[in-house]
Amino acid sequence: MGKFVIRRLAQAVMVVIAATILLFIGLFVLGDPFASSGDKVVPPETQAILREKFGMDQSLPMQYLTYLGNLVTGDLGIDLNQRRPVADMIGAALPNTARLALIAIIIDVIIGVVAGIIAAVWRYSFWDVLVTIITTLAIGVPTFVIGVWLRQTVSGVWIFPQVPRSFTELAPWYTEVLLPAVTLAIVDAAFIARLMRGSMLEVLRMDYIRTARAKGLGERTVIMKHAFRNSIIPVVTYVGISIGILLGGAIITETLFQYNGVGYLLYRSILQNNNPVIMAIVTFAVLIYVLLSMIVDILYAYLDPRIRLS
Amino acid sequence: MRKQAWLRAAAGLTAAALVLTACSQKSNEGSGDSDGGDSAPSAGWPETPDVEIKDGKPGGTFRFGITEPTAIDPYNGQESEGLLVTKQLFTGLVQADPDGNIEPGVADKWEANDDCSQWTFDLKTGTKFHNGEEVNSESFKRGWERVSAKASASEVAYHLTGIEGFDEMQAGTANALSGVDASDPAKLVVKLTDPNCEWYVRTVHPVFSPVPSTAGAPATNTAYVEAPIGNGPFMMDGPWQHDVGIKLKRFEDYSIGHKAYLDSVEITITANGSQDEYAGYQNGTFDWARMPTPVLEQARATYEPQNQWITRNTNGMNYLLVMGTQKPLDDVKARKALSMAIDRDAIINGVFKGSMTPATAFVPPVFPDAFQEGLCEACTFNLDEAKKLAKEAGLAEGTELNFQFNVDAGHEEWTAAIKDQLETNLGLKVNLSGVQFPDLLNNEQQPGASGIYRAAWGADYPTPSNFLQPLLSTEAIGAGPSEPTTGDNRGRYSNEKFDQLLKDGFATKDEAERIKKFQEAEKIAIGDDQALIPLWYRTQHRLANTEKFINLRMDFSENPDLYEISIK
Repeated sequence: MGKFVIRRLAQAVMVVIAATILLFIGLFVLGDPFASSGDKVVPPETQAILREKFGMDQSLPMQYLTYLGNLVTGDLGIDLNQRRPVADMIGAALPNTARLALIAIIIDVIIGVVAGIIAAVWRYSFWDVLVTIITTLAIGVPTFVIGVWLRQTVSGVWIFPQVPRSFTELAPWYTEVLLPAVTLAIVDAAFIARLMRGSMLEVLRMDYIRTARAKGLGERTVIMKHAFRNSIIPVVTYVGISIGILLGGAIITETLFQYNGVGYLLYRSILQNNNPVIMAIVTFAVLIYVLLSMIVDILYAYLDPRIRLS
Repeated sequence: MRKQAWLRAAAGLTAAALVLTACSQKSNEGSGDSDGGDSAPSAGWPETPDVEIKDGKPGGTFRFGITEPTAIDPYNGQESEGLLVTKQLFTGLVQADPDGNIEPGVADKWEANDDCSQWTFDLKTGTKFHNGEEVNSESFKRGWERVSAKASASEVAYHLTGIEGFDEMQAGTANALSGVDASDPAKLVVKLTDPNCEWYVRTVHPVFSPVPSTAGAPATNTAYVEAPIGNGPFMMDGPWQHDVGIKLKRFEDYSIGHKAYLDSVEITITANGSQDEYAGYQNGTFDWARMPTPVLEQARATYEPQNQWITRNTNGMNYLLVMGTQKPLDDVKARKALSMAIDRDAIINGVFKGSMTPATAFVPPVFPDAFQEGLCEACTFNLDEAKKLAKEAGLAEGTELNFQFNVDAGHEEWTAAIKDQLETNLGLKVNLSGVQFPDLLNNEQQPGASGIYRAAWGADYPTPSNFLQPLLSTEAIGAGPSEPTTGDNRGRYSNEKFDQLLKDGFATKDEAERIKKFQEAEKIAIGDDQALIPLWYRTQHRLANTEKFINLRMDFSENPDLYEISIK
């Protein structure tokens, strides 16, 4: 098990380095943040002063090394637009996004797993057909359509705060997070329900389930103790990756609901060619993603001994 | 391949449909004014009448939305949203009223020496910053040096170009502006390297604001940058909450004019700009809103009868940048033929549903003293004349014309309509292409650039010369014929007579005489040479909650004039 973890860690570090290099080159190709981008030109003298201030008069490899050096010491740099420390900006946005991700995951796991089990156990019943229809619809409709619809019909009703509203009208975080979380959870829940149904059906056909039934175990014990634990593996993978994606920020949903998270920050930074912020957020997303898939792999190994041995 | 062809066909159909609807709408209006040159503009919604400013009473909170600004500190305030806040927090030497007329600010009186190379501003004494510190000439010198310092890396410092010592500060070789003398607290003396008899007008820009000693230079004091202490009618009520909002409250010791009437102003920072502002106005959150173009017609139908609608021609012009040194537009007749072959009314009615006003001059009507209606004779649709001129200029059928615009900014429809008109009316082959904004600028700057480009301009300072000098003077090319341009004259227009008239204008002390010079210059560049092709003025529409508030009007920068707004 120890060897497995070390191998996995080394892989993770390499992925992070490769990702940052690609990202750095990508941003450089995307364009010069200080070039004129409006109806009026930015005087060349001003552009030169700005490049010097942000160290962008250096060569690209030099800039990358500086960036990497700063990253290791925890310095994410200063944003090019408002000149605030990038760490502060992300620090303000991250708790919001984490909350959103957590609530969304809780909602979609509960709905998805329960629906999946019901559909698998009572295969071809009314409930199974219903789950299939609803999940097909949910997967087919893009998130932003669901978001726009929810914003137009549900926001401002009952406990759901109005969007947009004056910033002085404070709403408790749990009401503010609800609509974007539901928006995000709908598609995910559908995926999870399908995964759960599929793998549950597969497991239910296994010999050891028949054995368990033959032993005379109750149906409830068979499903919850024997089938459930074995069929949850694909769902665990999916949820792990999903958390990673959500923590990297839900660009459309956060922007739609005026929710100040990492996704909204990323959206604004891309519009402004605000490289240090884009770098920091994407690097962070890569880190989370790599970390989570590592944890998932290790969990796998724990759930299924065959993986750790191969 | 097949998909592309299909897409192109679809795009062509849409464009054709647009032009068709434009034409049918036009013929509905009837009465054959299309070839008459003297009729008043037939397209466009009329401006709403001026608001009569009444005395207000203290109280109330005014709420509206903006998008997150770059900065609200005058050292780097740049886009309209940031400058809106800066203007409430700071009062400069002089200020502009909604029509762009200059009024006293901290300065009571201003005067230039004989050749306009030195300006003296007499300051009001006893006016205060929000922290109680007195505003004097040193406050201005401090503010300007804070902007000019290289280490501040201000993106708007170039407005101070022309002040003696500015170049040295930008180069990092000086720590003070040698041309600014603040030895008398009540007098600010400014020496210019480029004499300019209307230089004082520049100081309406917030970058010329005074700052208190706590601001610190260079501008790296984050506590100040996030919550600037100024001398304006409103002050910060708590620091700027990024991506959330900015709260302002009345400054009780304001003594430059009357105090603001509003108790407070709540500026919510929205994610989706005009879309959120409009939705917020509809749900009662905001008292003022911009609107996305597609909803304008519907919003006007709802809110104009309720007297909550404002339409103004503002400081701006939409035009086609013309590469007049390159074929096929190196002949003035070709440029005029192009301009005459565009039916502006049809596009305004068809694409913009009437929400714009066709241009007949380049300096827009927002400068009533300088505006010369009808100066651009070729701005009136005249098919016969256009064909005749095109023939004379050798602009034969099938001539290829390059036409570029920046994508995703709402220019797709009307550029397609212009392409269609030019192809139908003159038989040209128009190569219309949409590119990203930075690429558009870059393409325009190249020495071999030819054809026409979408362009727009707004003056930085309320003076007509700011429409002429940066866009059309030889010095604003900033490069030789084989180098990319560095200034805003990307069409590389160059005319000695025009340059001389501008120069004479800047050297003329009498305002009326000066404006006459600028008018003559405009006549040469636009009327005679057709260096650019004006399309329509910048027209802006706002929703304003007249049920609760009075004195609601747009200021010169198209923002609510918060200083005058009062509850009923």
